[in-house]
Amino acid sequence: MFPSSTQCKYWMFNSEEELNRLRQKANAKHIQIYGQHTAENSKYDVFLTPEEEKIMVKRFELHLRDFCKRFQPPMPRYVVGTAFHYFKRFYINNSVMNYHPKEIMVTCIYLACKVEEFNVSIQQFVANIKGDREKATDIILNNELLLMEQLNFNLSIHNPFRPVEGLLIDIKTRTNLHDPERLRQGTEHFLERSLLTDAILLYSPSQVALAAVLHAASKLQENLDSYVTDTLFGEDGRDKLTDLIEAVRAIRSMVKMADSTPDRNQQKILDKKLDKCRNPENNPDSEIYKKRMLAILDDDDDLYRKVSSQNTSIDNSALSMSIQSSPQ
Amino acid sequence: MDDFICPRCRTSKFQNPSMKMMVNVCGHGLCESCVDLLFLKGSGSCPECRIPLRRNNFRVQLFEDSAVEKEVDIRKRVLRDYNKREEDFATLQEYNDYLEEVETIIFNLTNDIDIVNTNKRIEQYKRDNKEQILKSKGRLGREEYEMEEMLEFEKQREEERKKVIQLEEVEIKKKKIREKEALIDELMFSNADAKNILDTFAQQAQQEKKEEEEEEVRKIPGKATQFSTGIQFGRQSHSTFLPVPTDEGPIYVYKPLEFDSDGPKPPNDIDIVEKHFLNHVRSETDTERAGGYKANIACLRALQDAMMGLFHSKKSIKS
Repeated sequence: MFPSSTQCKYWMFNSEEELNRLRQKANAKHIQIYGQHTAENSKYDVFLTPEEEKIMVKRFELHLRDFCKRFQPPMPRYVVGTAFHYFKRFYINNSVMNYHPKEIMVTCIYLACKVEEFNVSIQQFVANIKGDREKATDIILNNELLLMEQLNFNLSIHNPFRPVEGLLIDIKTRTNLHDPERLRQGTEHFLERSLLTDAILLYSPSQVALAAVLHAASKLQENLDSYVTDTLFGEDGRDKLTDLIEAVRAIRSMVKMADSTPDRNQQKILDKKLDKCRNPENNPDSEIYKKRMLAILDDDDDLYRKVSSQNTSIDNSALSMSIQSSPQ
Repeated sequence: MDDFICPRCRTSKFQNPSMKMMVNVCGHGLCESCVDLLFLKGSGSCPECRIPLRRNNFRVQLFEDSAVEKEVDIRKRVLRDYNKREEDFATLQEYNDYLEEVETIIFNLTNDIDIVNTNKRIEQYKRDNKEQILKSKGRLGREEYEMEEMLEFEKQREEERKKVIQLEEVEIKKKKIREKEALIDELMFSNADAKNILDTFAQQAQQEKKEEEEEEVRKIPGKATQFSTGIQFGRQSHSTFLPVPTDEGPIYVYKPLEFDSDGPKPPNDIDIVEKHFLNHVRSETDTERAGGYKANIACLRALQDAMMGLFHSKKSIKS
C-alpha cells in the first residue's frame, strides 16, 4: 500500500527545488567540515560545486543502469528500480565527496538484490565487477550498513512496474482500445528512463506508471484521455484531475530531458577533482582508511578477548561450585 | 528381591507378600512380625549388632539397600542441628565449606569412621551454635512451606468433594421418596388403570436414570482433569510461573480494514470477477494453485497498486 508506506511518508518530495536545496545543504555541510583551511572564495576550486555533484550522480546512475543490464544472472527490473531509489535517496543527504558514488552504487545494487529477494551471493555478485574482486567485496560489505542507516532503514520500495500491469488490465477491461499489449514496449522504455530522473522522488509510482502508459499511447497515435478523465477518475476524482494532468505532464517532460549525457572531457576533469577532494577517511585506498579499519578490527579483538576472559572466569567459578556441592 | 529376607525368621517377600521390612538406626533390617515379637516391651537390642534400640524408632524400609536407609536416618538427625541455610553465610565459599563439613560428618557416621571424634564435633557445634539452631528451627524453609500449602489445598478440595457427594446422595434419597409418594397418590386418587399408571411411572424412572447416566458421563472428564494430574500441574505452574493475565475490557469486534487509497477506488474481489477484469490475467496453473496462488490475488493487487496514490500531490504532503 503506497499511501501508508515509508516511501510516501519520508521519501516523497515537494519539488525539484526542494531536492536541490537538500543536496546543496549536504554539499555545504561537507565543505564546512573538511574545508576549514580553504578560503571562502576559492573553496570551489578545491571542492565540487552542488551542480558538479549532480553531474557525477547522474553519470553513475547511467553506470548503474548499464551494470544492471549486464548483470549475470539477469536481474529483474524491480531490483533495478529499487537500486535506483536507494542511490538517489543516499545522495540527497550525502555529498559525493564524502562517499564515492562508484562504491555506493554497487552497494545499492547489492542491497536491492537482497531486499527484492533476488538471491545472489556476494561471490556471484562481485563476479560481475571488473578489477580487484576481494576489494570490491570489502567495500560492499563495509558500506552496506552505512547505506541502510542513511536510508533510515526504509528499505521497501514501491516501483511503478506493478501499477503498469494494473493499468493495462484496467484498459483491457474498461476501454475499447485495440490490442493494448502494443503499449507495453513504449511503456517499459519510458519507465526505464524515468528511473534516471527525479520523477520517482516527486510522484507516486502509479502516477509515473500512468504517465508511461499515456506516453506510449500517444506514440502510437492512440488517445486514452477519455479513459483517464471518465473511466479512471470518474465522478469522485473530478477535482483531482487537474493535479494529475499537471503531474503527468511534468513527469513526461522530465523523462524527455533524461537522455542528455554529460560530455566526456568534463567527466575527466570532474573525476580528477573528486580524487583530490574526496574524504580520505572513506577512501579504501588511503592510509587513513586502512588505519581506521585496523583500529576497528583491534577494537573488536579487544572486546572479544575481554568477553571471552570474563566467560572463562564465570565458567571456572561455576565449575568449582558444582564440584564442591556434588556430594550432597 | 533376595535381600528382602528377614535375618531372624528367614521369611522372604516371596513366601509372604504382605511382609514389611522395618529398619532402625543401626541399619539392620527386621520384619514386622519379628519387631512385634522382640520389642514387646518397647525396647531391646538389635539381633545382629546388639545395639540397644527403641521400638518407636523402627521405620518401614524404603530403600532396598539398608546402608542407604541408615544414611538417610543419620542425615535426618545431623541436619536437625546443622540447619543453616545459604542466606546465613556471607559468601558462597563459606556456605560450600559448611556443606562439605556436614557431608563429612554424615559419611563418617554412616561408615563408622572415627565415630567418637565426629560425635564430639557435633556436640561442639551444638554448643557453639545453640541460638542459631533454635532460630533456624523456628522458621520453616520456603519449600516446606509450599509443600504444606499444597497439602492443605488438596485436603480442602477433598472435603469439598465429599460434601458435594453427600449432598447428591441426600438429594437422590429425597427424590426417590417423592417419586414413591407420587406413585401412591396417583394409584389412590386416579381413575385410570392401575397397570397403566405403574407402566408410565416405570418408564419415567427409566428415562430419568438414563439422563442421569448421561450426565455422569459428561461430568467425568471434567473431574478427571481436576483430580488426577490437574492439581499437581496447577500447583507447580503457580509456584514457578506468573498467572496468565486474563483479558478484560470490551469484547473484540471485527472491523473490516479500511485504508486510504489516495486515488480512485480500486475494484474489489467481487468486481474483478463480475466486471471481467480477471479475463485479462493469466489463470493460475494447477501447480500454482496447490501452492496457494490464485490469479485473482495478482489481479487485485495490480489494480490496487495502479489506483493507489494517483491523487498524490505536492499540496497533500504539506497539509
